[in-house]
Amino acid sequence: MMEEAASRLERDHVHSVYDKIAPYFNDSRYKAWPKVRQFLLDLQPGSIVADIGCGNGKYLHINKEVFKLGCDVCRPLVDFAWSQGHEVQMCDGLHLPYRDGCFDAVLSIAVIHHLSTKERRIRAIKEMARTLRVGGRIMIYVWAMEQKRRKFEKQDIFVPWNPNPLSPSNSSGERSKPRRRATAQSVSEAIDNSDKHRKVRSTSSVADEGELTCSTPQQRTQRLWFFSRSLDSVFDFGSLAVSRSSSRDLSTLSSPPGENTGNRAGVCGRRRGLIKQVSNFFSPPSVIGSEEDVFDSVTDGHKEQNSPGANKNTAADSSENQSVPVSLAQECGALALPDLVSFQKGHLTQSGDESDGEPQGKEQLESTRSPQGSEGQVEGSCLRYYHVFREGELAELIENHVEELHVKHTYFDHANWCVVAEKVQLWKI
Amino acid sequence: MKLLTHNMLTSHVKGVIKGYPLLIKATEVKVNEVEFNPQFVSRMIPKLEWSALVQAAEELGQRQDLPSDLVPDYETNEEFLKKVHRVLLEVEVVEGCLQCPESGREFPISRGIPNMLLNEDEV
Repeated sequence: MMEEAASRLERDHVHSVYDKIAPYFNDSRYKAWPKVRQFLLDLQPGSIVADIGCGNGKYLHINKEVFKLGCDVCRPLVDFAWSQGHEVQMCDGLHLPYRDGCFDAVLSIAVIHHLSTKERRIRAIKEMARTLRVGGRIMIYVWAMEQKRRKFEKQDIFVPWNPNPLSPSNSSGERSKPRRRATAQSVSEAIDNSDKHRKVRSTSSVADEGELTCSTPQQRTQRLWFFSRSLDSVFDFGSLAVSRSSSRDLSTLSSPPGENTGNRAGVCGRRRGLIKQVSNFFSPPSVIGSEEDVFDSVTDGHKEQNSPGANKNTAADSSENQSVPVSLAQECGALALPDLVSFQKGHLTQSGDESDGEPQGKEQLESTRSPQGSEGQVEGSCLRYYHVFREGELAELIENHVEELHVKHTYFDHANWCVVAEKVQLWKI
Repeated sequence: MKLLTHNMLTSHVKGVIKGYPLLIKATEVKVNEVEFNPQFVSRMIPKLEWSALVQAAEELGQRQDLPSDLVPDYETNEEFLKKVHRVLLEVEVVEGCLQCPESGREFPISRGIPNMLLNEDEV
């Protein structure tokens, strides 16, 4: 039951989202983290490395002396990586199609935070460990709960995706052009060429969210994290209540006529039924603030708008516990949400009890999107699920549950917790 | 999919014990020119399942005179290394499928990419 819910959640809020945003993913805003690059460069020549969850393959060109392969569940991203000359496969991290001990090194960069239960995260690490040879090393990066400017209040979150069409990173000129593999071009040539594309920008600390590069105040949208209870912590599958912030005005949510094209179902809106079902497990999101806090390279001129909204929200939530439908719009209050235009209201009653005093309930999300301009945009605001990690959590996970790996290094890199671990021989008596 | 990759791939259908090596049924194969790096090839060889490589090359009609067993002192045998280089890195399956030797399950290869995703009933 949990397993089904977990895999459905990941299908809806990870796999299908990446499928949709893949075309926007393949540009130069996605840099190789320097320490990951160094890990690859330090490998012995003739090593075999696997990038599990390779995405668009941005690490697969590093170090000509080693053989790299990558895999991912997202077809469009894998296609792109292949077009750059890389060896890639489609597979999922819980069932790796590689024989035992065949890799000298494994990368898992910003991947396992998309798995929605602790058990699945452990399984993914164990799978990767299985494919590592004894003495081989794995590098794992996951989003950290503790960010430079603030901490996420909860660990299980939904992050909206919103590519900014006017940001320089979206200009097609910077996009890596697909490279035809059919020519007699050597693999190393392909690698060298794609290297040039990647030199473009400094290795910024901006991770996956390219929208942070938006330049004008009008374009700077308030990105909100939507929090939920972890699937691991759900006991009561019954319907949950939603509390209402009475101070919210629904109309603050409607965009000006020019921008709002109404309830046109976005690509993400189609999954309403499944979202409803899955979101039964989650309490309503509380608005925390802008996503810029996750990444430390962004200026935040609009930060001050966050606190009033957040405060009001908290106050209202704790004072009420009615079985009244509430929309995300109300939760978000006066914060501008050009990318989350209309919402489906959920109507639920609560039967359970929340010990920490926070509001419980469920949000039924149907996010639709109105185009903001003449540029084509991703339809629907796609919410990606993340489990952000606390300090020490990843290392603990490995130490307590993956005995075949020994943690060698742990550190904080930009917005991530990172672990390098070594595969050890286990002796069973 | 290059044969070096194929050498690492295995069937992971639930219940299958001997899912390696995967049988290759190719409908489109390409041979590219790839820069020869003897040291690279030499270091790869100990990591390979040699017989699986030979079998795969055979299935594609690309074996040529690759020996069934590794030659001794291959590290310095440039001619041998070149043969290995060719089958490992230059031969590429663009379209076809990989078949599990035990269950018969076929994993498609399209546009050079093997799709190893399992169905719900196979995990």
